Amino acid sequence: MRVTAPIVFAGLALVAAPAAAQDHDHDQDHRIVLGDIIRTSLKPGAYQGRNNGPEQTEHFSRKVKIGRDGRFSLSNIAGDIVVTTGGGDEVSIDAVKKTRGDKSELARVQITVDDRAGRVDVRTEYDQDRRDRGSRTNHVSVDYTVTVPASVSVDLHSISGSVKATGVHGSVRADTISGNVTLTDVPKLEAAKTVSGDVLLTGITTDGDLTASSVSGSLRAKGVKARGIDLGIISGDINVSDVTCERLGVKSVSGNVEYAGTIAKSGRYEINAHSGTVRLLLTNPAGFELNANSFSGSIRSELPLTIGGDSSARSGSTVRGRRDAVNSHSMRATYGDGSATLVVRTFSGDIIIAKR
Amino acid sequence: MDLVARCQAGDVEAFETLYRQHSARIYTLACRMAGSAEDGEDLLQEIFLQAYRKVGSFKGQSALGTWLYRLALNHCLDYVRSRQAKMNKLTDTIDAETSFEPAARRETPIARLDLERAMERLPEGCREAFVLHDVEGFDHKEVAELLGIAEGTSKSQVFKARLKLRAYLTKR
Amino acid sequence: MHPNETILNDYADDLLDPVERAGVDQHMAACAACRQTVEDLREILGAASELELREPPVRAWSRLERAIKMEPRLESGARGFPLDGARGRQPGGSGGARLKGSRSMWIAGLAAAAVLVLATAVGVRYLPANRTDATPAAASAPGGAAQSGAAQSIETELRQAEAHYENAIKGLEAIASSEQSELDPRTAATLQKNLAVIDQAISESRAAVRSQPASEPAQQSLIDGFKTKIGLLQDTVALINEMRKGNEAGAARIASGLKQKGT
Repeated sequence: MRVTAPIVFAGLALVAAPAAAQDHDHDQDHRIVLGDIIRTSLKPGAYQGRNNGPEQTEHFSRKVKIGRDGRFSLSNIAGDIVVTTGGGDEVSIDAVKKTRGDKSELARVQITVDDRAGRVDVRTEYDQDRRDRGSRTNHVSVDYTVTVPASVSVDLHSISGSVKATGVHGSVRADTISGNVTLTDVPKLEAAKTVSGDVLLTGITTDGDLTASSVSGSLRAKGVKARGIDLGIISGDINVSDVTCERLGVKSVSGNVEYAGTIAKSGRYEINAHSGTVRLLLTNPAGFELNANSFSGSIRSELPLTIGGDSSARSGSTVRGRRDAVNSHSMRATYGDGSATLVVRTFSGDIIIAKR
Repeated sequence: MDLVARCQAGDVEAFETLYRQHSARIYTLACRMAGSAEDGEDLLQEIFLQAYRKVGSFKGQSALGTWLYRLALNHCLDYVRSRQAKMNKLTDTIDAETSFEPAARRETPIARLDLERAMERLPEGCREAFVLHDVEGFDHKEVAELLGIAEGTSKSQVFKARLKLRAYLTKR
Repeated sequence: MHPNETILNDYADDLLDPVERAGVDQHMAACAACRQTVEDLREILGAASELELREPPVRAWSRLERAIKMEPRLESGARGFPLDGARGRQPGGSGGARLKGSRSMWIAGLAAAAVLVLATAVGVRYLPANRTDATPAAASAPGGAAQSGAAQSIETELRQAEAHYENAIKGLEAIASSEQSELDPRTAATLQKNLAVIDQAISESRAAVRSQPASEPAQQSLIDGFKTKIGLLQDTVALINEMRKGNEAGAARIASGLKQKGT
């Protein structure tokens, strides 16, 4: 019995392509996966009671030496990762494999630890039958708790699970596909990413640049001091508070953006939102030149601004004339000495600039 | 050199090392030639991708960094040229700022960021000449070759750029 | 009787021969204006030559790495144009032509589509309306000839850009949809939903451009929408590639009967 149930996406058509492997044991096209119901009904026995059984666990524990400047990486599939720091010069890895299915499933999940000079790489790997492809992520998870020396660099990846790191002072990259990324006191954060989930960054002070992105969820940064900050999201809010940076790049499609922080002298701040409201709550800002544009959103400032104060405008009246003639949705203005640059663009969202 | 061999073999880690060593230089050049950080970033991407594809043909007659810089420069020039062709070369807007009179005295020395931002405002044509001559340090003969213009034109473009910059910077 | 611009500029750059230089020196002894000009020129030159390097954004390497990993296996001795050698370089014309020729070779392959779009995007962003100096002329003459002329060329430029984007988008979508099964259904659904969010934004922007072709926010939001969509599709494809590598590694282990760590 061949089941073909095409999932139709807007703009993407998922079509049941003939399976490359001609395997007679297939009684469904395993590449089309619609949900638990179909899977369990078409594969009798193997995953019966998958969600009903008691939780089976297996523990894993390893300590590996790593230099103070070592690099640690962890690639997980399903399950959470928590990284904290401790003294010494070794990495301490504790993992718990979990399943509600059969205990034998646990043995098919391997935790491999690859230990080379100055590097420790840990991976979760599933032995898998071709037939399992659609379901491998759904019934065994591995939760990791790792302690590293504070000066080590870490690279953390999960597919379905959250990633959390605190106090790592080497460079940090953390990403997951479905899950949250929570990072605290990671001064050399380079990138924090998720597809479906929240990113929360707190207590970070760095001389460098940091990047965070999500597709669907939220991005929050609190108590962050960096040279450059880049934040991008498709749907969800971006909320940045108690932040100091010299350069900001924010991009959002559907979701609000709020920046509560300072404007540094001669800094450059760019915010681009399609439909969300952009709110800037500025604490003792340095002077800036504002270039705000929206197609249909309104622009409002509670700070005293000099309209058309930029020297490139031929005269104040020209600027005003241009604004009235086109629409009332653009503002070029100067605050203070106009040393920094604020570029805020939305399509339909409102732009609000206020003092905190 | 080991790094070269590894890059030529397609070793991505080695290529990352190459990137780390040279990206700032290339990015800076790209931003200034293109006139914005956004365009500079796109150019940076294209340049290194091209470098990845072409590293096989690097023969070691110069340092790898020099080869990379040359590739970047060619790419930036090509980009600028195609953009100018697309735009049908806008004539300069009448600019009262390009006066030959000395501008008002400036109290503070030119701040780095102010100059960078002022450079982004330079019109096409004179910006590239300025970047290549005053920033990158090519002489007028080389600038002329790179941009496909006469040496005298290079001089007058650089001069025009300097005057405009002076005007932008003293308005603050 | 001031020395002309060229002379003063060359003087500032120390390009004059001793005789000419002496002449200018003599003039400047009595002329404060020219002294000031030369001082200003030198100050700018000095500041320019001392400008620092700028670090690219952190995300630049990730983007590049993704693009590299989507490249077909590197061939050694790949055709390229000679870049080594002395400081003198090829004349501008042929260098440009060679770049264009090799550019057309890149059309095969996914990364090529993205690069093409990037190049176009960068080109299109440079529409006349984006230059603040040009905007007042185009936009503040309602119904004037200037406006309709500018609007026309903007529409054409945008349509060209749209065509390029849609090509790249189709290519990426084809790959994404045929390999979508590598992703788990929830992630696939999230990505699909967000592509729809972007599509919604794109159609709003398109409608806005149609109703107000000269509006810079409308144009910019349309271009931004395309770029965001490309970005998300690229991320999706990269994700699929990663998942497939993991799948293959797992399947290969079974096939070989060994339980060793992956690559």
